[in-house]
Amino acid sequence: MHISEGILPVGWAGAWLLVALPFLAWGIRQIKRRGQTEPRYRAFVALVGAAVFIISCMPIPVPTAGTCSHPCGTGLAAILIGPGPTVVVASIALLLQALFMAHGGLTTLGGNIVSMGVVGALVGFGAFRLLRGAGASVAVAAFAAGALSDWATYATTSAELALALHGGGSLWSLLGAIMMAFVPTQLPLGIFEGILSVGACRFVSSRRPELVERLLARSSG
Amino acid sequence: MTQTFELFSDLFALRNNALSRRDPRAKLLACVAATVAAGLSTRVHLPLAVMAVAMGGMLLVRVPVRLIVARLLPPLGIVALLGLLRTFLIGSTPLGQVALGSWTLTATQEGFHEGVLLLARVLGAVSALILLSLTTPAHRVFAALRWLRVPQVWVETAMLMYRYVFLLLDQTADIFAAQRARLGYAGAARSLRSMGTLGGAVLQRAFDQADRAHEAMMARGYRGEIPFGTLGPTPAGDMLLLGAVLALLAVGLALGEGWLA
Amino acid sequence: MNAPGKPFLIEMENVSFAYDEGSLALKNVNFRVRAGEFVSMLASNGSGKTTLIKVLAKLLTPQQGTVRIAGRDVRAMTAGHLYQQIGLLLQDPNDQLFAPTVEDDVAFGPRNLGLPDVEVEQRAEESLAAVGVAALRKRAIHHLSFGERKRVCLAGVLAMRPKILVLDEPTAGLDPAGESQMLQLLSRLNREQGISLVLATHSVDLLPLFADRIYVLNRGEVVKDGAPEEIFADQEMMHRVGLRLPYISRLIHEMRCYDGVRIEGLPLTLREARLRLLELIPPQLIMESLKEKTP
Repeated sequence: MHISEGILPVGWAGAWLLVALPFLAWGIRQIKRRGQTEPRYRAFVALVGAAVFIISCMPIPVPTAGTCSHPCGTGLAAILIGPGPTVVVASIALLLQALFMAHGGLTTLGGNIVSMGVVGALVGFGAFRLLRGAGASVAVAAFAAGALSDWATYATTSAELALALHGGGSLWSLLGAIMMAFVPTQLPLGIFEGILSVGACRFVSSRRPELVERLLARSSG
Repeated sequence: MTQTFELFSDLFALRNNALSRRDPRAKLLACVAATVAAGLSTRVHLPLAVMAVAMGGMLLVRVPVRLIVARLLPPLGIVALLGLLRTFLIGSTPLGQVALGSWTLTATQEGFHEGVLLLARVLGAVSALILLSLTTPAHRVFAALRWLRVPQVWVETAMLMYRYVFLLLDQTADIFAAQRARLGYAGAARSLRSMGTLGGAVLQRAFDQADRAHEAMMARGYRGEIPFGTLGPTPAGDMLLLGAVLALLAVGLALGEGWLA
Repeated sequence: MNAPGKPFLIEMENVSFAYDEGSLALKNVNFRVRAGEFVSMLASNGSGKTTLIKVLAKLLTPQQGTVRIAGRDVRAMTAGHLYQQIGLLLQDPNDQLFAPTVEDDVAFGPRNLGLPDVEVEQRAEESLAAVGVAALRKRAIHHLSFGERKRVCLAGVLAMRPKILVLDEPTAGLDPAGESQMLQLLSRLNREQGISLVLATHSVDLLPLFADRIYVLNRGEVVKDGAPEEIFADQEMMHRVGLRLPYISRLIHEMRCYDGVRIEGLPLTLREARLRLLELIPPQLIMESLKEKTP
């Protein structure tokens, strides 16, 4: 769920863009640095970005809402390429979606980068690393990364909406109401996204074990 | 899935017409300016005018109405939700009451007004965005962004992603069809498992493709950065058009907000 | 284009290459191509031809042996210099086209050379025209057909103005018309611009028409090299390495072996075979009027 063009007041849209910029700069610097010592790295990041973009377009049936919803994919991306580059590819995915599907928007890019890119990537990456560090299996860590990054993204989106739109009313009651409205779809969607992340990680590690080792080495860098 | 794939299309942007020929920088700036103006407006008139002009533009270059509606509808769902929430949660002047079991919800005038304004803003801004997207192909946007000093790494990654999203989409659709033909999506549990496999398969293709793309770039003298051509100066006509759009938006905003009174 | 006595542009000496997992992909390969020559590398799947191509283009570095392009060791050449000598056309055009539009993709190489915009433009235009796709210039890559993509790839390579073109299965996936057009195009580049060609393939039917010399590669080793007539005459070797004769040669071969028809030599092209068969057919069976009409 991206915040659509026109929903955020101009001040808030600008403020979120300012919040997103340092994270983008961080990711761009990481890609640039790594690209200098490892010439393949740029193509690798772009292709993982493209794959995750497609995964995020897969419709997942949400029985509680009676419709299909889409995963974010940022948790999975963060496992594969690390949080910094994930912020970069998420920002590109958001721009492409805004341009080609009118999904999200140009002025709301900042807000969406913060919720999906920054928060989603950091939570997903953090969950994966922490759980792996604590000795959890790849499956458990991947599930947590997928589910938690999804939920964190939606919580952030709700907070952005509530902050911008509570007007004279109570921030907390609006936030609570928005969250309540999202919960029936988001709770199962997060679980689905977790399962999807596990499936994707498993597939990659069974077919190309050397790749996963390489990936794990990459994401620790 | 197929619906998503169809929606993700740049066929209209690649057509040659009066609007697609305009300078991408001018269009990008005009679109952002229209969105900002709609966002600053506290009355519904300017956002609705933006929407009308954008719709007119789309009909001028013969975009099918079905496509416009398909792209306009999704954001309206969330707007309806937010509008309702605000109507019931914000403001003090009662407008009416709805009884929900033991709860009584009070709609307020202020909240309702805010909801309608939000709806107008979204309609205006999203229309401007759709007009931009249907008349400007991605590579022109990338060139404009490069000219606007967006970092090279970002634009290079965006270009590669854009190119390979289409390639991977084709392959994903093939795998998806093959899975479905062998009942991979019969039942929720099996669907989930198939989805996971599909996600993994797409990733694996992406890894292989990355290595091959890199080799292809090396064989044509890649030195760590994709070089971009330079975008020439904006044609005078397009500058004038951009100026006119900006002036109209400024005047419209000033009139609507009563700044001139 | 026959080119005896011309200097060697490609000299590959005792090259061995093994992939990281240990499989030996090239064993002591010697491979030479003269300026202006049209050389074909005939090999079944998995016999190391793609590896050999990548070694030639310095995308892989062999553990043993040397590769010299235009007399210089590739290890000492800068990328800019090397890729103005040697252009590479990969088998799948999708691997090679990474820019969003045709124009951007063809301009990629010249821009990497640091050429001014005017010259980049000019080269893009010329090379698109040379492969007959000038009209596709503004199109998005993902809206092109397979055959169009293949040509755009070739244009992108030609824009580097290489002296050698190395092509991995350039006709794979093309329909019969596209296949013969591609070969005509390559043959023209060879004759008119003097570009040396190295063409790797496992399809034998069209090659004898064009190639000056053929290298047969099997399990990473060069089994034989020579003129097409020499190569195809060694049927025992062809069979052993999993390749077949051109269909037309096989027809003649079987008529000779199984039916005892006395035909000298081994025709490799349709035209040669037709002339040989005509020699055997009694004149009273040939209708003069029709014979005159044939090309």
